[in-house]
Amino acid sequence: MSLLQSLYLPLRLSWRQLRAERARLLAAMAGVMFACVLVFMQIGFRAALFDSATALLSAMRAELFLMNPLTTASFRPEPLPRIRAQQALALAEVRQSVPVYMAQVTWRNPESGTRRAIQLVAFDIESDAMGFNGLAALADRLKQPDAVAFDRRSRPEFGDVGRLLAGQPGTPLPVQIGGRQMNVMGLVDIGPSFGADGNLVLSETNFRRLLPNRSVANVDLVALRLQPGADPVATQARLKALLPEDVVVLTQPELVAWERRYWEEATPIGFIFTFGSLMGLIVGMVIVYQILFSDIAGHLREYATLKAIGYSNGYLARVVLSAALLLAVLGFVPGAVVSAVLYDVVGSATFLPLGMSWSRAGLVFGLIFGMCAAAGLLAMRKLRDAQPADMF
Amino acid sequence: MADPVVLEEVSYAFGEGELRRAVLRDVALRVMPGEIVLLTGPSGSGKTTLLTLIGALRAMQAGRARVLETELAGAGEGQRRALRRRIGFIFQNHNLLGFLNARQNVAMALELQAGLTERERLSRADAMLASVGLEDHRHKPPSQLSGGQRQRVAIARALVGDPGLILADEPTAALDKASGQEVAALLRRMARQRQVPILMVTHDPRILDMADRIVTMEDGRVVPALPAG
Repeated sequence: MSLLQSLYLPLRLSWRQLRAERARLLAAMAGVMFACVLVFMQIGFRAALFDSATALLSAMRAELFLMNPLTTASFRPEPLPRIRAQQALALAEVRQSVPVYMAQVTWRNPESGTRRAIQLVAFDIESDAMGFNGLAALADRLKQPDAVAFDRRSRPEFGDVGRLLAGQPGTPLPVQIGGRQMNVMGLVDIGPSFGADGNLVLSETNFRRLLPNRSVANVDLVALRLQPGADPVATQARLKALLPEDVVVLTQPELVAWERRYWEEATPIGFIFTFGSLMGLIVGMVIVYQILFSDIAGHLREYATLKAIGYSNGYLARVVLSAALLLAVLGFVPGAVVSAVLYDVVGSATFLPLGMSWSRAGLVFGLIFGMCAAAGLLAMRKLRDAQPADMF
Repeated sequence: MADPVVLEEVSYAFGEGELRRAVLRDVALRVMPGEIVLLTGPSGSGKTTLLTLIGALRAMQAGRARVLETELAGAGEGQRRALRRRIGFIFQNHNLLGFLNARQNVAMALELQAGLTERERLSRADAMLASVGLEDHRHKPPSQLSGGQRQRVAIARALVGDPGLILADEPTAALDKASGQEVAALLRRMARQRQVPILMVTHDPRILDMADRIVTMEDGRVVPALPAG
């Protein structure tokens, strides 16, 4: 038998066997599909968590950042002395130093009047240090007293600010923020994260109006924009030498990784999703194992007959493995389709960035494939019970 | 041409130590080319065990056995498997694969042979089914065939690979009188045409007339031969 035949013929045999019992095949496919959807959702949530948690930081247009080393996550910053922002300008490579202020305050829903905590992101709007969509058009209006921009992707519990604004073109929307009357001038795109349900962007001056008790000597983050052609890593090293120990100097990828590490390590969330994926795979494996095992147990005489007429153990093992792999493919395809639909539904309900990608589909297929192969290898042990000597 | 089956001083026992129970004692048996030999005897006389040894389904314990020029004493699983491919087996139950139709079942016996295309396998299977009178039933699964028809498919499967020997175990036991005789006659005719020797275990007195020779076993020994017919 050629290599191709020795793979194709067992595959065809196992397909014919699977096809013969529709109900069992459907049950097995449903099991694989279930595992597939579960893993897709868990992996999707996990990635969405990390993507959304770092969306704000990723949107900042700066090469280096100064941060208090005690800051664990951006939604809960420890302050650092504002003077560090000025000190960083001592280096010729640093073109611009932008202090960023972050705090959470309560927002009163302009429609229902309920209150909810919202994230403030304040900085010198003219600095162009933040790449939020829609911000550039609002830059001038945000300089007005008590002006803010609202993140259109904030959770709906904050009220349908977009609709209210559209209903009164050219007029700001008055809202109560942290006990002060402020005006929403327009909308920007940031997106909620697990740490913040919604965002407001405002100028440094308006931030001070809103939170007058905050010390003017403190900032929460400093974004450093470098001269064109300056090497961020070399500049980072020089800044570390220049600045005292009460700040860390991070590149943007390091800042994003810092934030990510908080969610991965300091919260159970990352573990929960990994655990959820694992559970899905185990349940799927048990289902596939059961199906394959009962297939073998129900066909022991036939398998023994095949051994008697000269088929090898290896051939029968390939039949069982082929069945496992067929189930992987047959369950994965509808599972991926269902997951893509669920991503859309859940994504629009939770405002989390859930999306199907080829690389994720590939990863999940690999996991499902491995799950089915493991089930097949376990079920294969039952083949030993097929004894051709007992046939007569 | 050497005799297809030559056994000398074959002994076999099940169990170990105190539980050891001998089922074959110094059996000598010879099947000549083209010969049809029936093996009879009370149950427990060891004839089925003998058949599994000749069919290379079991490893030998003691004695010498040459089947189709292969020495079975000390033969490994690989050698025995290669020998099994040159033997046609017919079981008491048809043991056809339920999820395959008749021609696919017959073609399964040819999938082990290298160098055959799918078309050749199926056309040989069809030809073999036609010669057992089932050309109109080749697309039916076993569940849609009668007991006699299933056993005829099993005969076609055993013969399609041009075996050098046919081993059969009570092939008519599960059939009524008419289809039992029909199957026996068919088997005899097909074997004669191809000059294939048959060694068949049977209790069925209705088919003893198909034999060239009847070998009777008792207590694990061969009883001195009777003339056939």
